[in-house]
Amino acid sequence: MKNIDGNTVSAVLSNVANAIEANKDYLCTLDSEVGDGDHGVSMTIGMRTARRALATLENPSPEIAFRTVAEAFADEVGAASGALYEGAFAAAARAVAGKATLNTTADWAAIYEAIAREMQAIGKAELNDKTLLDAWLPAAQALRTAADEGAPLDEGLRRATAAAWAGVENTRHLIPKRGRASRLGERARGYQDAGATSAWLIIKTIEQSLAPAAE
Amino acid sequence: MKKLINDPFDFVEEMLEGFCAAHDDLIKRVGRRAIARIDAPIPGKVGVVVGGGSGHLPLYTAYVGKGGADAAPAGNIFASPPAKPILEATRAANGGAGVVYFYGNYAGDVLNFDRAAAMAEAEGIRVATVLGTDDVASAPPSEAHNRRGIAGAFLVVKVIGAKAETMADFDAVVATARKANANTRTMGVALTACTVPANGKPTFTIADDEMEVGLGVHGEPGVRRTKVVPVDTIVDELVETILGDLDYTGSDVAVLVNGLGATPYEELYVIYRRVKQILDARRITIRRKYVGEYATSLEMAGASVSLMRLDAELHDLLAMPIHTPMIRQF
Repeated sequence: MKNIDGNTVSAVLSNVANAIEANKDYLCTLDSEVGDGDHGVSMTIGMRTARRALATLENPSPEIAFRTVAEAFADEVGAASGALYEGAFAAAARAVAGKATLNTTADWAAIYEAIAREMQAIGKAELNDKTLLDAWLPAAQALRTAADEGAPLDEGLRRATAAAWAGVENTRHLIPKRGRASRLGERARGYQDAGATSAWLIIKTIEQSLAPAAE
Repeated sequence: MKKLINDPFDFVEEMLEGFCAAHDDLIKRVGRRAIARIDAPIPGKVGVVVGGGSGHLPLYTAYVGKGGADAAPAGNIFASPPAKPILEATRAANGGAGVVYFYGNYAGDVLNFDRAAAMAEAEGIRVATVLGTDDVASAPPSEAHNRRGIAGAFLVVKVIGAKAETMADFDAVVATARKANANTRTMGVALTACTVPANGKPTFTIADDEMEVGLGVHGEPGVRRTKVVPVDTIVDELVETILGDLDYTGSDVAVLVNGLGATPYEELYVIYRRVKQILDARRITIRRKYVGEYATSLEMAGASVSLMRLDAELHDLLAMPIHTPMIRQF
């Protein structure tokens, strides 16, 4: 596994930004089924700004890299997703404060847990409310279990992605409890949640960026 | 997508630049995404901050002005502003007597305005929040507090702005704001969808001969999709639903017939005519009336009807003058 320093974290987060932007229309289409169809736009605005800001950093610490993304969301996005990801990336920055490298499964388990916990605190949603937490919570849990079992980082991240995707698929069976879609009740059942899907994209891109094959 | 735009991601920025330049006698920029009335903050006056996503003009930035709101943050199209511009608007509106927030009840807005309120309180600015919940189609009466806010916001902001203009104290402004919202009901119908520039595709698809009853102003699905019928039939359903939701018997009311962006004023007057017929037959007295575009959804075609049940105070506050970039009443 590569040495994951601040520059690597910055590159990973840039990959995440590209992945979100590349999937803008897909996310908007998912959101338009039950929401107002702009989730891909909100995420793209934040990630685009983040990518530009990341590109200006010189040898950032992991903390600074995460904080840069948080600030991009704070300044540019708004919407529920903007507030949630500003808080989530700021929580990630706090979780890695003082660390020069993030080479262990436990490092990333702490990051994912911080993200999921902060989103839960800000959005006051629970598992199965058909929100982005349906991807972040299982991913964080899977990564923590992997860390506790002593699994290597690439395996832990793979398990996190799989858990996130299972969470995304499960949103099809759920009635939304938060956000604009929540007013539709049963009419929203059957649709995949856009917020959970973008969360999975982030989680998957982090895994792929850090996979040994990507070295 | 066919629009008069440049890069879609620059749309809100360029719109705000033009809006502020065109109305620099009435408003000023107080942040990259926040504006305030030119004479804000007014010492001793309760500040009124309204706001939400862009794409709904005149709502909300064009509600800012004398007799209206003191300041407004502007979000991206149909997306709540972040906490930062809300805080900037709050500071600009703060004349030392506290600040009242009024905005539509949407998850993103609640998240961001609550965060801004906490930041403002930490700076020593007293903040109270009143949520717009006028859309009767968005939740049953038992869950009225969960309803979303739509065009009725104009009537409520008109009342709050006027109340604050009388130099009423903080608690009085908050109480009147709650009363105004509690007495306001709206229901709408959409004939076509609209396109968020950065998205590029319509927010929903609807056949040429169909309409969405009870639509959301961001293209959220309404309660029912059906064939387009004569407008009197549509208005009957909208008004009867509103009248069934709140007891208007023997009341005085304000009526707002609101166009969603691509519906001609001519059609709005046909709608107003029918609303008046229904209310006359019920012996409900129309004391204030507004017909026009007060809360749009980009180029969506359709309209909504709002009724505010009036007491003497609400009536008198609606009758007071207002002068904003897009709304003027003498």
